[in-house]
Amino acid sequence: MADILLEPARLDYTPQMLPEPEMSFAAHPEHKHYLNHEYGLLSWLLTVDHKRIGLMYLVSVSIFFMFGGIAAGLVRTNLITPTGAILELDQYNKAFTAHGTIMLFLFLIPVIPGVLGNFLVPMMIGAKDMAFPKLNLASYYVWVAGALFFVWQLMVGGLDTGWTLYPPYSSKYSHTNVLYAGLGIFITGFSSILTALNIIATVHKMRCPGMTWGRLPLFIWAMYATSVIQILATPVLAVTVVMLAVERVAGVGIFDPNLGGDPILFQHMFWFYSHPAVYIMILPGMGVINEVLTCFARKNIFGYKAVAWSSVGIAVVGFLVWGHHMFLAGQGYYLAMVFALLTMLVAVPSAIKVFNWTATLYGGSITFQAPMLFALGFIVLFTIGGVTGLFLGTLGTDIHLHDTYFVIAHFHYTMVGGMMFAWQAGLHFWWPKITGKMYSDFWSRLAAIVMLVGFALTFLPQFAVGYLGMPRRYPNYPPEFQIYNVLSTAAAYVQGIGYLMPIFYLGYSLFAGKAAGNNPFRATGLEWQTSSPPSPHNFESTPEVYFGPYEYAVADGLKIIPLNDGKVRDIVHEDPDLVSENAAKEATHGS
Amino acid sequence: MFAFMNIPLLPEQASEFSKEYDVLFWYITGVSALGAGVVYSLLIYCCFAFAKKDGVAPKRILGSNRLEFLWTIIPLMFFLSFFVWGVRQYDVAINPPPEAYDREYTVVGKQWMWKVQHPTGHREINEITLQEGVAVRITGTSEDVLHDFGIPAFRSKFDVVPGRYTSAWFKPIKVGSYHLFCDQYCGQGHSQMVGKVQVLSQENYAAWLEGIYRVRDGKNPADGSPAWEGRKLFLKLQCLNCHNKESESRAPTLEAIHKSKRALQGGSTVVADDTYLRNSIRNPMKEVRDGWKPIMPAYTRAQVTEEELLNLISYLKSLKPGDLPSRTESSPAPVGAPNVPDSPVSPIPAPTTGGAR
Repeated sequence: MADILLEPARLDYTPQMLPEPEMSFAAHPEHKHYLNHEYGLLSWLLTVDHKRIGLMYLVSVSIFFMFGGIAAGLVRTNLITPTGAILELDQYNKAFTAHGTIMLFLFLIPVIPGVLGNFLVPMMIGAKDMAFPKLNLASYYVWVAGALFFVWQLMVGGLDTGWTLYPPYSSKYSHTNVLYAGLGIFITGFSSILTALNIIATVHKMRCPGMTWGRLPLFIWAMYATSVIQILATPVLAVTVVMLAVERVAGVGIFDPNLGGDPILFQHMFWFYSHPAVYIMILPGMGVINEVLTCFARKNIFGYKAVAWSSVGIAVVGFLVWGHHMFLAGQGYYLAMVFALLTMLVAVPSAIKVFNWTATLYGGSITFQAPMLFALGFIVLFTIGGVTGLFLGTLGTDIHLHDTYFVIAHFHYTMVGGMMFAWQAGLHFWWPKITGKMYSDFWSRLAAIVMLVGFALTFLPQFAVGYLGMPRRYPNYPPEFQIYNVLSTAAAYVQGIGYLMPIFYLGYSLFAGKAAGNNPFRATGLEWQTSSPPSPHNFESTPEVYFGPYEYAVADGLKIIPLNDGKVRDIVHEDPDLVSENAAKEATHGS
Repeated sequence: MFAFMNIPLLPEQASEFSKEYDVLFWYITGVSALGAGVVYSLLIYCCFAFAKKDGVAPKRILGSNRLEFLWTIIPLMFFLSFFVWGVRQYDVAINPPPEAYDREYTVVGKQWMWKVQHPTGHREINEITLQEGVAVRITGTSEDVLHDFGIPAFRSKFDVVPGRYTSAWFKPIKVGSYHLFCDQYCGQGHSQMVGKVQVLSQENYAAWLEGIYRVRDGKNPADGSPAWEGRKLFLKLQCLNCHNKESESRAPTLEAIHKSKRALQGGSTVVADDTYLRNSIRNPMKEVRDGWKPIMPAYTRAQVTEEELLNLISYLKSLKPGDLPSRTESSPAPVGAPNVPDSPVSPIPAPTTGGAR
């Protein structure tokens, strides 16, 4: 395996959708992989294998996604009638708070870094494991401890502050479990930090020979940028939550004006974390989309550097835009202006990415399996999520739309339409690698379509009703808004069915799925060049890399001619065919 | 078709700012639709044109600096145009015109109601009555948690923050009744912290100031008005014991009495003007209504002062059919009670014009 990338002839890009006994290790009884080399509960609970930890995250976040989804179902069902169909006022407030906190802290933030980040980062860069395997396990348990506080909080009566926890309501007036939830946020935050630290160290120190920064898969770039944000922003959230707890428990005036505090201070600190946090949620998703699109279009990513640096740009500028959540909260005029300008700037890298993804499809040889459908859905929905953000980042238009359903629709289009679809794309893309089994092509495509249609129809009416002025977090609303809410709820049920479908066909594939083979999608990433499921240490020996991550055109037939010394160098510059092609192009451009 | 089905499609444009606002809103919508349209067309084109075909290998394209530059600069230019226009509009929204300072309202938010104080001395709960075409400034603060004073029809909204003053202004340009929402989550009754914005024409507003023009769906006179004071007296003096709508009532109901023609015992007829009403209280035996026994006691100055009498008359003048409280009510509603005791009020005020065309 060491020279697997040395000789193009041995690159395994042949379709392996049909079981091929001699190639498919999964079907081979003696093949020892990370799932079957040890058994027993302890072998999982005490594992330091990044792949097993990733799977533990997968199970945990899926459970929490289900809880969050049930809360969303309660909220939407209640909104069928203008006076609340099923819940009392307090119950509704607790339901939407549970939905928000669970989905954000226990699903969106950990899902891709925890599951795919853990599983793929070492494999994509050709490493045996994370830089700090034990820290990795610790960060999982820290996260579980934090999550248990959320569970405990829900079991003893819930929380009704909204996920934003704005004081003085949260510090003084709410009679619900602010402290337990605060502890949950505080502790899961540490897990975020530890995971991020681990990923940064891994990317810096564990890359295999030849894996230069310019050859890193863009998923790694995205994870790296995400990790930087997590390390820098999460401590601020922890500090904020501690201050809130101090005020609530000891009555020290920090945020409550009656005690000499300032409620706007909380909002500044909260959004200093929580705005970058939306990039913590979306950047890994963008990373996944790069991997999936290139594979199913059989193309190099269009503008590798632009995509990579736009991730970094988002991470940096994303730190400077938090004030756009507070245009109407009483912050200064010039402050609002600066935040609005920076908000417009942070929109640019996202636009660049969308254009690059679209351009990547140009000249490709596209197939439409489920991961690709999810990725295309991501682009369609994220585009709407992105442009509607412009309404909210523009000072004038935000006045009317602030805190209405327009905001709800906007961030669901980015967080669910974006992140959730990216997560599904990633899950379906790497499922054969993770489990060694292939799921049903038909059902997975159908699920992608059901989710897309259900999602789009759930939130489109909310843009309309938001523009009409319906405020968020309203269990009761004026009757003329009912039609929009009924439409939205009906589509939400369709969406819910879409989310249930993978449980069945992915679950079925575990027991009765066809063996996937090592590389069913003929992808070029390093993680695909080893067996499925991978062996406990990923690679039989350390791989070496000689060119960039998305050489699908090469894999699909473009010839690479080894140089005289027998090694294939960076084909971008050194493939004679290409060199001559490029030279010809430059000549025409020059004249 | 939707308008026919009474489904609102677009919010009302009831203030000067709302028209300006919508121009920018639709400009951004247009540009966004264009941008999304370009992306979607390209996506669809690529998906069809470059779907896998046998024997066609994918091209090896690494990127293009020119294109990257182009799709960095063009969106940026549009985004900056949003920004500049948005700042101008924000400027308009937060800087009131000089005349708005002549009508300064204050609003205090508390869990879960809005208390509005008019510059004229009037007070309202969960309602704000404004004059068409007159710019007003409104300053808010909160007694407890964060609230947000939002009027969609005016495209106006500002957070109401404990411990500091925030403000907005608006110039209503359309007579009607509009929603007032609390937009910042404030606890259990957040969605009950709603109210009504009443924009009246000049003469109706003048009448309202005098306490004759009734708000709250015609049930009660405005808080603080003479008629409101009169209503309290009406209840305190137990007028309702006889002047009620029960079958055994011993006196006329007094609804819609003002300027009505009254047949008197003896065959004459008078118009019930202010003097008639005054006489009927001070000296009821002077003119007795036909068909009723002369049992009304006379109320002297010791019982009702001249000022109180004016208020009482003001209330009687405001009474329209169905306005009289039911007899079970033994005491006036406490100040600030949002509901009229005798009418079951839904938690959401019935929208009268909110968007219906």
